[in-house]
Amino acid sequence: MQFDDQGRVNKSKKRAVFNQPEAKNRVELFRHLPQYEHGSQLTDLESKFLELDSMHPAVYKVGVQYLAGDVTGGNARCIAMLRAFQEVINDYSTPPGKTLVRDLTAKISSYVSFLIECRPLSMSMGNAIRFQKSRIAKLPLTLSETEAKAALCNDIDRFINEKIILADKVIVRHAATKVRDGDVLLTYGSSCVVEMILLYAHELGKQFRVVVVDSRPKHEGQALLRRLLAKGLSCTYTHINAVSYIMHEVTRVFLGASSVLSNGTTYSRVGTACVAMVAHAFRVPVLICCEAYKFHERVQLDSICSNELGDSNDIARVPGRPDVNSMDNRTNEKNLQFLNLMYDATPSEYVSMIITDYGMIPPTSVPVIVREYRREYLLI
Amino acid sequence: MDFQVVVLAGGTSKKLVPLVSKEVPKALLPVANRPVLSYVLEQLELSNIKDLIVVVEGADAALCVGGWISAAYVDRLHVEVATVPEDVGTAGALRAIAHHLTAKDVLVVSGDLVSDVPPGAVTAAHRRHDAVVTAMICSVPVSGLSEAGSSGAKDKTKKPGRYNIIGMDPTKQFLLHIATGAELEKDTRIRKSILRAVGQMDIRADLMDAHMYAFNRSVLQEVLDQKDKFQSLKQDVLPYLVRSQLKSEILINGAPQGQQAKENGNDKVIGEANHLSGYNFSAQNNIIHPSAELGSKTTVGPHCMLGEGSQMGDKCSVKRSVIGRHCRIGSNVKVVNSVVMNHVTIGDGCSIQGSVICSNAQLQERVALKDCQVGLGYVVSAGCEYKGESLARKEK
Repeated sequence: MQFDDQGRVNKSKKRAVFNQPEAKNRVELFRHLPQYEHGSQLTDLESKFLELDSMHPAVYKVGVQYLAGDVTGGNARCIAMLRAFQEVINDYSTPPGKTLVRDLTAKISSYVSFLIECRPLSMSMGNAIRFQKSRIAKLPLTLSETEAKAALCNDIDRFINEKIILADKVIVRHAATKVRDGDVLLTYGSSCVVEMILLYAHELGKQFRVVVVDSRPKHEGQALLRRLLAKGLSCTYTHINAVSYIMHEVTRVFLGASSVLSNGTTYSRVGTACVAMVAHAFRVPVLICCEAYKFHERVQLDSICSNELGDSNDIARVPGRPDVNSMDNRTNEKNLQFLNLMYDATPSEYVSMIITDYGMIPPTSVPVIVREYRREYLLI
Repeated sequence: MDFQVVVLAGGTSKKLVPLVSKEVPKALLPVANRPVLSYVLEQLELSNIKDLIVVVEGADAALCVGGWISAAYVDRLHVEVATVPEDVGTAGALRAIAHHLTAKDVLVVSGDLVSDVPPGAVTAAHRRHDAVVTAMICSVPVSGLSEAGSSGAKDKTKKPGRYNIIGMDPTKQFLLHIATGAELEKDTRIRKSILRAVGQMDIRADLMDAHMYAFNRSVLQEVLDQKDKFQSLKQDVLPYLVRSQLKSEILINGAPQGQQAKENGNDKVIGEANHLSGYNFSAQNNIIHPSAELGSKTTVGPHCMLGEGSQMGDKCSVKRSVIGRHCRIGSNVKVVNSVVMNHVTIGDGCSIQGSVICSNAQLQERVALKDCQVGLGYVVSAGCEYKGESLARKEK
C-alpha cells in the first residue's frame, strides 16, 4: 500500500491492532513509505499485551521481537514467523459452520497484517507467506482436521528445512570452493550465510583474512566481527567511509542479500550498493550469497519505489557520544528532515555471480530460476 | 493469553496489629478511602483480565475478602478466593494453590501494590524474552518511609535498614543480582559467571522490588517443590532464581534462561501498606466529597481527601490527611498528616499528627495523638496525650 494515499491509510488505521503515531517530518520523495514515531511504539504494544485476545501469543511474541529489533535478518525473521504459524496451526480448531481452508487463511492474513504493523515484511517473508497460503488452499477436502493440521505443520517444517537450512549448507559448500589460500575477503554488515561461509572455509583450513565493513546506525558488523574473532579468524574492521581505501587489498567481496529481483538487482542492506560499486571500480569480483526462496519476480530499478524507513532518532544520535547531540530532539523542526533508509538496490552490472542453492549463476539467470523452479516448490 | 494472575492478599498481618482486625484484613485496609486491594483489581480489570485467583491467609480473612470482592466486582471479574493456612509466607501460599495453576506463565501481584504500570507491560516483556522470571522494579518512594510507631522516639539514630541492592546489566533489561534489605550484611556476593557473561553490571541501591512478578509456571513449581524451605517470594525465590541463571547444571530443560527486570521510572507506587502514615499523593489537590460539611473557618489544605457525609466543626484544620466517610469531627481539631477511617468521632480540641485512626474509633475532647495508631472501635478518653503508641481494643 502506498502511504501517501490518505484514504487507504485511514482505513488501515481503523483496522490496526495498535495505533502508531506517524512521524511528522518526512522526506517528500519517500512519502509513500510508512514511517512512525518509534519512541512509544514498543511500550504501546507491550501494554496492550493482555488485551489482545484475538492474537495468538506466539504471533504476538514474534511481532514484539520484530518491533524491538531482537530478531533481525531475513532468514531469522522468516523462521520465527513460520514457527509462530506452526503453533497457530497446532492450536487451531475450526469454528462451527466454517471451513478450515477459508477460516485459517483469514486468520493467517490477520496475523500477517499485525506483523506488518510491527515491521514491514521482507521479501523472503512475503514468499514464505504466499507458500503457506497456497499450501492451505491446496489441502484436499477429504482430510480430517487433525490430518490437515499435521500436513500443514509438516509442510512448514519441510519449507524451513529445504529452503533455508539445507539451502544454506549447499551455498556454503559452493562458496567455499571460491575461497583460495591467501585471499582477502571483504564483507559488509552481517549476513548469516556469509558468516557460515567464512567459518566453514576456516574449518577447511584455508588461509585467508577478512575485512568487515560496517556502518551507522546499526553497526551490524560488530556482532559478526565478534563471532569471527571468537573462532580465530584474522579480521580487519572498518567503516564504509573508508571502503575505497581498503579495496585495493581485497581479492573477493562476499555480500548477503535480502532479496534478488528479476532484473538481477540485489535488494539488500543500505550500503551494499556502495561497496559493490567500489569493488567493481577496483575490478574485484562481487559474489552475492542468497537462498533461492528469496528471489522475487518483481523488477525494481531504484531504491526509492520500495524501501523501509527506520527510526530517525537512530541517525540523530551517536550512541556513546553524548557530546555529539546537536541533532537530538530536532525531529520536529520544519526545515530539517531525517532520512534513515534501511535497504538499497545494487544494479546487476556490479555483481559477478550469485551463489544460490541451485548453483552459482550469473545475475541474468535469476528470472529463469524464478520461472522454472517457482512452480516446483509450490507443488512440494 | 495463557497467563494466570494470582493476587497475594495476605491475611491479618502482625505488623499492622492495631489497624487490622478480624473484620478488616490487610487487603481491605483503605488507601485514599478505597480498599487497597481494589487498586490491584481495577488495574487488572482495565487490562482485560477476567479470571484471577486471590490468595488470602486464614479463613476469617478469606471470608471478608471474598465477601467484599463479590459485592464490588460481581459481574466484572471472575475471582476465585483461595484460602491458605496462616504464616506460610508468599512462597508457601503459591505452593498451596499450585494445583490451580495451569497456564504457561503466572503473574503474581501483591495485593497491596498501587501502581499505574499496566500488567500487560510486564507480561509482554516476559514473553518477548522467554524469561523465567520478570520482576518489576521501581525507585524507592522519596517521601521518607517512617517506620510507623515502632522505632518511634527511642532510636533516632537508627538508619533506615530497608534498602535493597539490585544489580542490572547496562541496558537495564536483565536482572543480575538482587538482595533485600533485611538480610544485608557488610559484603554482598556476586557470582563471577554472571559477571563474565554480561561484562558490565550496574549495582544500585535506590531501587526496590515492586512485588509484581511474572513466572514461568513449570520453573516456579519445580523450584517450590524442590526447595521446601523457601517461605517468601521476594526474599528467597527471586534471589535464588536470579543467582542460578546462566548456571546450566541445575536449570530445567537444560537451556539457560534469562531473568528480566522491568524498570519503571515514572510509576507512582505509593509505598507499601505497612507505611500508611508516610505516603503522599502525587499531584493531587484535595478531594472533598460533595456531601461533606465543613464548619466556618475550617481549612482543608492541599493533598487531602474528605469522605462522604463527613462533618467537620468550626476552626478545624486538615493538612495532608485522608478522612473517611461519615466522620464527625468537632471544632478546633487539627489533623495533620494522618489517616482517619470511616465512622470516627473526634471530639473538640483534638490534635492528631502523623497517626492512623481506624473505623468506629472515638476520640474524646482534647486528645493529642502523635505518631499513634488507634485500632478499630477504640475509645480514647478525654485529655489523653499519646506519642508513638498503638492503642487497640483488647480482644475479649
